[in-house]
Order: sequence, then C-alpha cells, then structure tokens
Amino acid sequence: MSARAETVGIVGAGPFGLSLAALLGRAGRDVLLWSRSEEVVADVSAGRLSQRMPELQMPLCVGAVSDVHEFARRVRFIVVAVGSESVRRRMHALGEAVDGSHIAVHAIGAFSAPHDHRVSTVISEETAILRTGVIAGPSMPADLAAGRATSLLCASAFDEVTQECRRLIGVPQIMRLYRSRDIVGAELASALSGAYTIAVGLADGLGVGIGIRSVLITRAASEMARLGQAAGAETKTFFGLAGLGNLLVRSSVQDEHASPSYRLGLAIAQGEEFTGENEGARAAHAGHRMARALGVKLPVLETISRILNGELAVSEAAERILLTVTEEE
Amino acid sequence: MDPRLVPEAENRLAAFNDERASIVDQVSRRVIDAHVSQAKLSTEHSLEYVLNEVAFSEMRRLEGGGRQTKQFLRWHDLAHKLGSMSEFEKHRELSSIVRFHAQDIAGNFNPKVYRFAKDVLPPALSFLLNPISGFREGVKALGSMAAQIRIEGELEAVRACCSRGTLVLTPTHSSNLDSIVLGFALQRSLLPPVTYGAGKNLFSNSFMSYFMHNLGAYRVDRRLGFSLYKEVLKEYSTVLLERGYHSLFFPGGTRARSNMVETKLKLGLLGTTATAMVNSLKAGDSKRRIYVVPVTINYRLVLEAETLIEDYLAETGKARYIIEDDEFSRLGKIFEFARKTLAHEGAAVVRFGRPLDPCGNEVDDAGESMDAQGRRVAPDGYVRDCEAEVTSDAQRDSVYTRMLGHKLAAAYHRDTLLMSTHLVARAALEVARARTGIRDILRLMRLSESALALPLSELCEAVDKLRAVILANPAHGIVQDSLVPMSARSIVDQAIHFFSTYHTKQTLYRSGEHVRIGSMKLLYYYQNRTAHIQYGKERAQ
Repeated sequence: MSARAETVGIVGAGPFGLSLAALLGRAGRDVLLWSRSEEVVADVSAGRLSQRMPELQMPLCVGAVSDVHEFARRVRFIVVAVGSESVRRRMHALGEAVDGSHIAVHAIGAFSAPHDHRVSTVISEETAILRTGVIAGPSMPADLAAGRATSLLCASAFDEVTQECRRLIGVPQIMRLYRSRDIVGAELASALSGAYTIAVGLADGLGVGIGIRSVLITRAASEMARLGQAAGAETKTFFGLAGLGNLLVRSSVQDEHASPSYRLGLAIAQGEEFTGENEGARAAHAGHRMARALGVKLPVLETISRILNGELAVSEAAERILLTVTEEE
Repeated sequence: MDPRLVPEAENRLAAFNDERASIVDQVSRRVIDAHVSQAKLSTEHSLEYVLNEVAFSEMRRLEGGGRQTKQFLRWHDLAHKLGSMSEFEKHRELSSIVRFHAQDIAGNFNPKVYRFAKDVLPPALSFLLNPISGFREGVKALGSMAAQIRIEGELEAVRACCSRGTLVLTPTHSSNLDSIVLGFALQRSLLPPVTYGAGKNLFSNSFMSYFMHNLGAYRVDRRLGFSLYKEVLKEYSTVLLERGYHSLFFPGGTRARSNMVETKLKLGLLGTTATAMVNSLKAGDSKRRIYVVPVTINYRLVLEAETLIEDYLAETGKARYIIEDDEFSRLGKIFEFARKTLAHEGAAVVRFGRPLDPCGNEVDDAGESMDAQGRRVAPDGYVRDCEAEVTSDAQRDSVYTRMLGHKLAAAYHRDTLLMSTHLVARAALEVARARTGIRDILRLMRLSESALALPLSELCEAVDKLRAVILANPAHGIVQDSLVPMSARSIVDQAIHFFSTYHTKQTLYRSGEHVRIGSMKLLYYYQNRTAHIQYGKERAQ
C-alpha cells in the first residue's frame, strides 16, 4: 500500500492526540500530526519528549508538520482531536487543503461551540470531507499513553470509514474498535454523557450513597436513549461505549484526573456558582433544548440545565433528582 | 436577459433511436451478468431464488384476474419447473425476462413529433389557453407563453452544466401536467428535451401517450413488484446517464397528495446518478459530469387538487397509488383548467435551483463542485479508495445519495414559490383555528363550513404576519414577487378571485366584511404548501 494509505493523520496535539499518536507509533504505524505550534512540531519531529506530556516518549515513526497542505498531501485518514471550542476554526483551516478523497473521524466528546452542533456536521460544513465518523468511548489519554488495553466505538454512516478506522487505529491486544452506523447516536451519547457527569458529580458531592448514584447513572443512560431515539438514533448506542461507557469513566476518575464536568458537579454541590465554559454544561443546555423541541421529557437533564442557569437551588435540585430517579423506571 | 442570445443546447435525444438497441442490450447484459456472477458467489443469490421471486410476485399480482389466464399460468408453470431446471435453462429464462422488460421500458424519440411539439404546439396551446375568445386577440397571444409559464432561478448555472455534462432534473411533483409544463419551460429556456420515466398508466390517455412515447419518455410499470424489474429500471437510467441523456426524475415518487412540499424522497432512481458517475470514471471519462438540478413547479391552482386531497384524507394514498380516473384522464378538463387558470400570468412558475453533484455538493456557475464553504472540489475524490482508485461501493454511494436527498429537500423548501392562494389559505386556517380553538384538521372539517365566517380584518392581519415570517427566513420559501409590495387586503382579494376560477367548490368566498370557507378540504390542500413553516402558537407548542 502507498505511504498515504498507511499513514494516520492527527489534528490536534492535546493529550488525546499525542497519546493516540504514541500508541500507534509504538505499534509501528506511520503517524503525522498537524499542529499550529512550531514547538510541538519540533519536539515530535526530533523524537524529543513532548513538553505537553513529558511522560510520553514519541516513537520515530510519528512525525509532525505545521503546513496544512503538506499534511493533506501525506495523509488520507484523519483523526480530529481538538477542543470543542476550536473545532470549527481548525476545520475551516483544514478545509483549505483537504478534498473529497479524505476521511475524517473525530474524537471530541462534546458538541461544537458556540452553536452546539454535532462535530461531524461541522467537519462537512467547513471542509470538503463527506466521509466522516466518530470514535467515542471510555479511553482515557493515560490508558493510551501507557498502552493499557482499551476499547472505542467507531461510528459512521459509511462502512468504508469504520473499516479504515479499524485497519489504521485498531491495535491487537490494546485498542479494540467496535463499529456502528449510528453516528448520530454515538455523537449524542458522547456529548450528553458529559452533561450527566455533572449530575453524578453533584450527587457525589452531596454524598447520596452508592445505591442512588447507580440509579442516577442508569436513569441517565435511559434519558439519553429516549432523546436519541426521538432524534433518529438507535437506543442501544446509549447503553454502549459511547454513552454508558463514557459516563462511567468520566464519573469514576477522581482527584486531579477527574473530568471537568465531574469537578463542576462537585463544585456546585459545595455551593460554588457556575461561571465560565464547560462542555458538559453546554451539552446539558443543548440536550434540554433538543428535548423540548422533540417533545421528550428528561427530568434529570432539565434539572441540571436549570441549576446551571441559576433557576434552581442545589437543595431543591437535589431533591428533584432524587425524586425523579426513584419515581419511574 | 433575452434567452435567444443563448445558443440552444444540443438535443442528445435526437440520436436516441440509433442507440436504442445498443442501450437495451447494454442494460440487459449488465443485469444478467451481475446476477450470474452473484449466483456463483452464494446460494442466497442463486438464479432459482431470483426467478422464484419474479414468479411469485407476478402470480400474486395476476391472481385477481383469475388463475386460469394465460399470463398467470406462465408464471405458475415457471414456479413449478424451477426446481428441475438446469443452470443453462435458468440463465435463458432470466435473460428472456430481463430483455423483455428492458425493451418494454425503453422509450422512443421521434424527431418529427418533437419538431411538431416544439414549433406547432406552443402557439396552438397558447391560443387554446388564452381566455380571450376573439381570434385577433388570440393571434396576438401567440408567443405570449412567457407570460403564462414563468421560468426563474439558476438558469445560467443550469445551462453551463448542460454544456459540460448530463443533467438530471428533479422537480417537485404536484400534477400530471408537470412534465408538460416543464417541457415548455425547457424549450423556452433553450435547454434540451429530457428523458423520463412515466407511469405506464399515463400512457392510457392516448393523446398524452402519443407525445410522451415519442418524446423520449420511458415506461415505468409500478404494478411490478419484483426486485429484478427495479434493477432493470435502475440500470436503464444509469446507462442513459452514462451516455449523456439528460433525464428527469420525480424524487417525490408520485404526485404530492397533500400538496405539502416533499421531504421524504425516493432515492432509488436518484442513486443511479452516483452509480453512473462511478461507471463513467472507471471507463476513463473524467470530464463528463452529472448534475442534479432541483426544480420546483409551482401552481397557483392545481388541476387535480380535489381528487388528490380526497385521496390523501381518505388515507387510501397507498391503495390508490395509481389513480386512473382523476382530472388528468379527461382531456376536456385539462383544457378547461388551461383556459381558466394557466392562462393567467404567473399561474405556473418553474424555478430552477442551484445544481448539485451526485454527492450533494452545490456546483458553481462553471459547473465545478464546491464544498460547503464555496471552495472548488473534484467530485471524483469522493469515490476513490485509499489507493486513489475509483471503486464501486454500493453502501458508500447509498449514503451519498441520502445526503443528496437531504440537500434536494432543503432546496425544495427554499425554492418553493408561495402564491396568494397558498398564503391566504394558510392564514385563513390559522384564523379558523384561533377562533374555534380547534387545531385538528379533521375536527375542523366536521364543523359546518358556513359556520366558519372569518372577519376580513383578522384574515388580513394573519396574511401580513405569515408574509413577514416567510420573508424573514429564506429557508421557508419565496413569496411571489408581485405579492411583496401588495396590501394584505389585495392579496386576499386576489386569492379569492383565483379560487373562484376553476374548482367546482369555492375554497373561500367573500360575504360582506367576512370571508367564508367554501371547502375546508381545498383550503387544507392549498395551505399545506406552507405546512413546513411553523410559527406563532404552533411553534410554541
């Protein structure tokens, strides 16, 4: 096969992008990172330790470029791993170089800011790429970096995309990829699990106990599935890696590695006021709006959204959540 | 711009008769070869299985006419013989069925009939359509077709695409007059005639059948349910596109019974655009492009409105997929409709949308595909694999076709021309709903029609509001030019006047300072053209 067909392009040199590059590099795959940071490009190209993830040794088969045209010429399969707040801008820049032959899957577990669109639609709106997909699930950058076994869901309407994804980023014994055609479900599940992570953080902060916590997580998956079904997705996606899997991992890791959404839930429980940007919070508002438009009742999500808006006090909200999760299956 | 300054596009169909036999042969060979090679791969696709489906589907269709008819017995015999037939016999049977249907589908193009339709019919019809009975005025009206069927939209882009590729016109479908109105529009725009699949039932009107059959229409028999027939039909369309024959599909499938702008499109024939693109590229022809052109055909009044809405409301749409006894089957009714309604300026408007490539990308004025940001992109990239080879991939192409369908549906909404009849019908229904507190149309229909007297002032207010909502959002559609500066009162008067010109029941009529609903069904039918627009109370709900 040609070098272009064998090379994985990665947009974004954040923790996920760098960890995935290292994992694939160690498996002997050719990887090319596109980063705007000359410093990152220089570090990766020289095989030096990344300043962003000092514990990560980048294998020699991982390269990096800052020129988007060179990146587009050398790769066909692209993994997009940038922040949800910058994805539209980065995709617009990528759009100057890519064409219809490229394939892009993203690993962004959130809606794109500021309008809360699904990221795959942003890719198609900003670039010529139509063959898009998403990889989602409970794979933490630390697991990838350490080479621990993990699994992701790859979803795309195109079978070709999931096949290429499995061929290029599946690593025997370490990275197992499941496939699905339900891209809408996978993107919704992945983004919404961020919103429900806030609820679990809140519940933990209030010390509700493991039983109610488990009920809450189960209800969360069920609510996501109802919304997804109304939006044309498959319910099973929400009980899989992208939905329940993501929610469990985001609300299980604690201390300094805890996810921002989980930390936000804890902070709210401690009476702190929410200001600023959080992907889970945006997903809560977007999901709530979508639920209203589709006529779906989602009590937990509505409660989170109203707390974040300052419409509900935490004590009142906690009571509502507890009532809701124990009221109906 | 004077269209006469534009050179007339090449009429590819003029060469159709010379190629007809080779087209039928190519279609047949492809379908037969595909089945024979699939049969070798798995028993699931054995020829026995394919022939069995044909036989049982045909027996089911024909058993209503009696089990002893020659036709029924032909398939009955085949079903019984299948188990003992050799592969050679099955192959021969498959070939004979495929070739029979390919022959039956293939149209004809008679240049003499085309010349007659092009040069003699328009003035003659123009004369017929003119409501002024005096001969002198009638003669004056010759050539005034421009005032009667208006053509709008992206004509320049369509012409550019026509000169460098194959056009696939995909109009909305309200009436059986659509193909005739579109035919006139093409001829007047100096665009070439197109070939299209017409339901076999339409050939039962001998006048229309004569023209359709000799102007390139191919016959689609909707009664045939077996998949082999659909494959032959799709292959026929694919081969025509590959050979550069401009085509016409109605993606809505059948006429919109409800008059709502189509959103659920049938993607079967539409999918042949991607297949034809791949086949052409594989054959080394990378220059010839395929363009899908969204077209809306907009009528102030629709010939078959009464039958269609009855059919829709009776929920027998499916059962009566083929309506054989509507207004279109009566020539007198067509002429009455033409004289009374089409004769008025702007009564029918054909609007061409921005052409798309088979993957759903819009194309620019030079016929080049663009991404959503307007950057040029080569369409062949979309069908290349990781080694940059053009590949056939039915699953991939079905997703592209779905994307194309979404783009077409959005274009239909955007390019739908909303006329006084549509605006006033919607506004009247909104006022009726507000006054009665009943939103459900079936419950509203049960109210006595005479009881529904709408104050003119409220109706005018509702028209103003609706017009403002549409003007504020281009995705809703286009308010007809002449209505933009008009007062709401004049729009109401105009709609009431037009409603009185043709249908047996008056949709709306004036009664002092009130407007009364004469036919709730027709009111519902005409308001449905705006059903995709949600505002006010409806939106809040």
